[in-house]
Amino acid sequence: MSLNVKDIKNKIIHTVLPGSRLLSFICILLLLLAGCSKDPIREKPVDPPSPPPPPGDTTRVTYKHGIFIINEGNYSWANASVTYIDNSTDSVYQDIYQSANNHGLGDVAQSMKIMGNKGFIIVNNSNRIEVVSLTDFKTITSITGFDSPRYLEFVDSSKAYVTNMKKNISVVDLKSMTVVRTIPTPYWTENLLHYGQFMFVTCIGSFNEPSADRKAQVYIIDTRTDMITDSILMGKEPVSITVDRKDKIWVICSGGYDNFEAPTLKRIDPQLMVVDKSFTFPVQQGVPSRLCINPTGDTLYFINGGVFQMPANATELPASPLIPANGHLFYGLGIHPVSGQVYVSDAVNYVQSGYIFKCSQSNGQVIETYKAGRIPGSFCFTSSSAK
Amino acid sequence: MEVRANLVPDNSGYKKVMFDSLILLPYRDADLSTVLSQISTIFIKSYSPGSLATTSFRGTPANHTQVEWNGISLSNPMLGQSDLSQIPVSAFDEIEVLYGAAGLTKTSGAFGGVVNLVTNPDWNNRIHASLAQTVASFDNYTTGLGFIAGTSSFQSHTRLNFTSTLNNFPYYDDFTMETVTQHNAAVLQYGITEEAFLKIGDKHLLTGRVWYSYDDRDVPPVVAGSSTYYPQKMLNKTLRSILEYKLVEKLWNFSFKTALINQFMNYRNDSMKINNDHIYYSWFNSARFTYSRVKNLTIKPGLDYTFDDVKSDAYAGIKTRNTLGLYLEVSYIFNSHIKSRMILREDYLDGKFMPFIPTLGLEYKPFNKINLYLNANASRNYRYPSLNDLYWDQWGNPNLNPEFDKGIDGGITFNYPSANGSFFVETAASGYYSWMHDMIVWNPLIANPSIWRPQNISEVNARGVEVSMNLKWKISKLQITSANNYTFCRSTYEKTTLAEDQSLGKQLIYIPENTFNGTLSLNCWNFIAGYNLSFVDNRYTSSDNQTYMPRYVLSNIILGKSFFLHTFVVSLQLKVNNVFNVDYQSVKNWPMPGRNYALTVKFEFKR
Repeated sequence: MSLNVKDIKNKIIHTVLPGSRLLSFICILLLLLAGCSKDPIREKPVDPPSPPPPPGDTTRVTYKHGIFIINEGNYSWANASVTYIDNSTDSVYQDIYQSANNHGLGDVAQSMKIMGNKGFIIVNNSNRIEVVSLTDFKTITSITGFDSPRYLEFVDSSKAYVTNMKKNISVVDLKSMTVVRTIPTPYWTENLLHYGQFMFVTCIGSFNEPSADRKAQVYIIDTRTDMITDSILMGKEPVSITVDRKDKIWVICSGGYDNFEAPTLKRIDPQLMVVDKSFTFPVQQGVPSRLCINPTGDTLYFINGGVFQMPANATELPASPLIPANGHLFYGLGIHPVSGQVYVSDAVNYVQSGYIFKCSQSNGQVIETYKAGRIPGSFCFTSSSAK
Repeated sequence: MEVRANLVPDNSGYKKVMFDSLILLPYRDADLSTVLSQISTIFIKSYSPGSLATTSFRGTPANHTQVEWNGISLSNPMLGQSDLSQIPVSAFDEIEVLYGAAGLTKTSGAFGGVVNLVTNPDWNNRIHASLAQTVASFDNYTTGLGFIAGTSSFQSHTRLNFTSTLNNFPYYDDFTMETVTQHNAAVLQYGITEEAFLKIGDKHLLTGRVWYSYDDRDVPPVVAGSSTYYPQKMLNKTLRSILEYKLVEKLWNFSFKTALINQFMNYRNDSMKINNDHIYYSWFNSARFTYSRVKNLTIKPGLDYTFDDVKSDAYAGIKTRNTLGLYLEVSYIFNSHIKSRMILREDYLDGKFMPFIPTLGLEYKPFNKINLYLNANASRNYRYPSLNDLYWDQWGNPNLNPEFDKGIDGGITFNYPSANGSFFVETAASGYYSWMHDMIVWNPLIANPSIWRPQNISEVNARGVEVSMNLKWKISKLQITSANNYTFCRSTYEKTTLAEDQSLGKQLIYIPENTFNGTLSLNCWNFIAGYNLSFVDNRYTSSDNQTYMPRYVLSNIILGKSFFLHTFVVSLQLKVNNVFNVDYQSVKNWPMPGRNYALTVKFEFKR
């Protein structure tokens, strides 16, 4: 039998029609769905932060009297953020960079420093320093040209040094907001301390090598010439540095990620440029980090599981913590520059919001708990954050 | 045209789904992650085209899906998981998906299940030669060459595949707030497989397979507003070979399989001064004896032995692992309505007996003339830590225990083929409940947060529902095919050691609660028009479930036409992916391409 086109046509029309209706329904549905998603589909918070009040509103937060918490975020997730605690109202503002700029801060925010009305946020794995206005936290400019930047320290109102994980110290001109020079260092430099005309910079050593092959030291840079003038040999991984009221410089050395040696706390006499005192931590009992000093410069603080407090004139390391860990993953530490209260962060399991505990410096009791962002790592106190 | 079901109902209490070569036909130029995300119930977490793509099967983490090639593991013993973006669909014919406890017939430790990539001979084939060339958006060129020839007792399959792509797609950069082009995402991949099947008489079958693959890719960075890019490269060279012998007698049969896998991997990141080589050898052996002399009873004892040897720049010295597995499968048919199968496993790992693994499945077919099946099983399963978990330099933890799962699942399957074969519908619904203990999590140490160490600390409770509906309908010359899958999955954190942890009872990150995918294709006069839709619900990005990636719907269209000239077939196929140009991300800050196209021309010679 030959093909009867008419028959087939009728058959199709009668039997397929419900199907075609379904098809057109699906198509319409899809067009609707597609129409709904014109905006980029991106991560959202379950509870969106309330939008900031318009400029001029008296309730508007001005970032003048408070504490910035720099939330690192997860490496390669690009979810760094900044949390702000307003000291005058004790209110907490989450993700203030995103709210002010409508985009994220970047990948791994390491630290923040303030000069005048400007905040400098060092975004490590985005290789940027985001300069924000402390009036509204909007970006003024981005400084680029780093190699995995870690910390910034101001030399004066026109110059700052930035340490990098992957070689060299960057010299930033604060007028043009550009990297104008680099101070060659063969290795990863970490923390900085401005002392007189010098900058003391801790240097961890070659990147991604066993501690045995790393040369750990403190470089001394003459800030007038931007030249390394001296260096002092340190324990492996000198991660933090601070200065006490008697002008002694303190450095915590973690001993190496591979437990090469016992961690140490070393004291440097900056006049003689030598280590004049050294405390050795017992091995297998944690690794100290985040060395801080109180406003009067007579008490040191650091994290070693719990938070420890140590008088600068102590003859031995403290035996028990001021704030015990008790299931907390203490990660960042800051001492309020006026009140002397201890701010310690808990990064929890690193894949959820962290917490900040404000604790009494006399007994370690928690005074207040604040929620922060992902992996709160460092604190930045505004110059007038007292109240 | 053969109407072949997706779902395999007759599996004595265990859920199994087959995707045959016909279903996979439109995906021959793609990788395994694309095809599974579009047609299966397995959720694929894909970072970006050319980047890592991992699975989440039934609410489990990626290392709980085992991907196999003709029964041998493709998972790297270092990681214990596979990157699906590196597996081209053109390297095999069919996909067999074994859900949950069904995977225990293949291996222990796959709490989610097993995905087995299969090629079987067609003894009626004489010569089938094909050449397919695909040209796609973003400088993507894929060539596939196949030569299958043989007699009724010998068949040889030779396949070559080659892919080169730049993945230079435009995307909206949220940091710079402008549209930019993806860079450093190029992939060069090629592979050759040779499979030979020899039948000696009616009783002996000898199979030999070799697969060499080469994969060289740039690792793109996360979008993070960085103006500097530090190049990262990954190179994989893998050789896999299998030799299999099968003896089939009337009341018993015997099979033995031996396989050798060698993989060379290199990861290079100059700025971090990392240039690491990882080399592993796996020697896999499996023997099975099937005895069915007693009526309605089949007993299948077996022995597995695997030897892994890893030489890695990230390990201190060479690390090895010996796994000896004792296997027993007992199937009993009670009557025409009830079937059962019990699987027992006992592994002996590096001189230590591991916990015993039992599972029992039951199938009930209430009616003689209606194809309705009820299935249920209960199981226990263990997964051993990966070699990275144990031995990663400085950070690994050699004292880890195996992860432990207790689970039940059950389902109902119904199919109806019309008497004249013009209509076929099948539908299935299944549910599962699983409690996983001692789950390995890499966490920073409280004593030193700069060191992360894997520990047996977490517990996960995964439960969910899968519903599928497939339809084939032939109306005169027009054939309508539709396949649809819906999954609901609730997988939650159930244990913590941290004081402030807010994740208890919360959904695991990057596992959606709801997913749907559906395909509708119309086939008429050698013309095919297909439409595929996939819906992925919100996925949390924080374990306290405070942030999430919003849901998205993607649509793809396929149009194809085949021309028959004697023994030659010329086919043209056009795919439009992400038809509505949805700007979405599967993983935060990893860009995905908008609308893109792939045009394939295929020449076939068949006799």
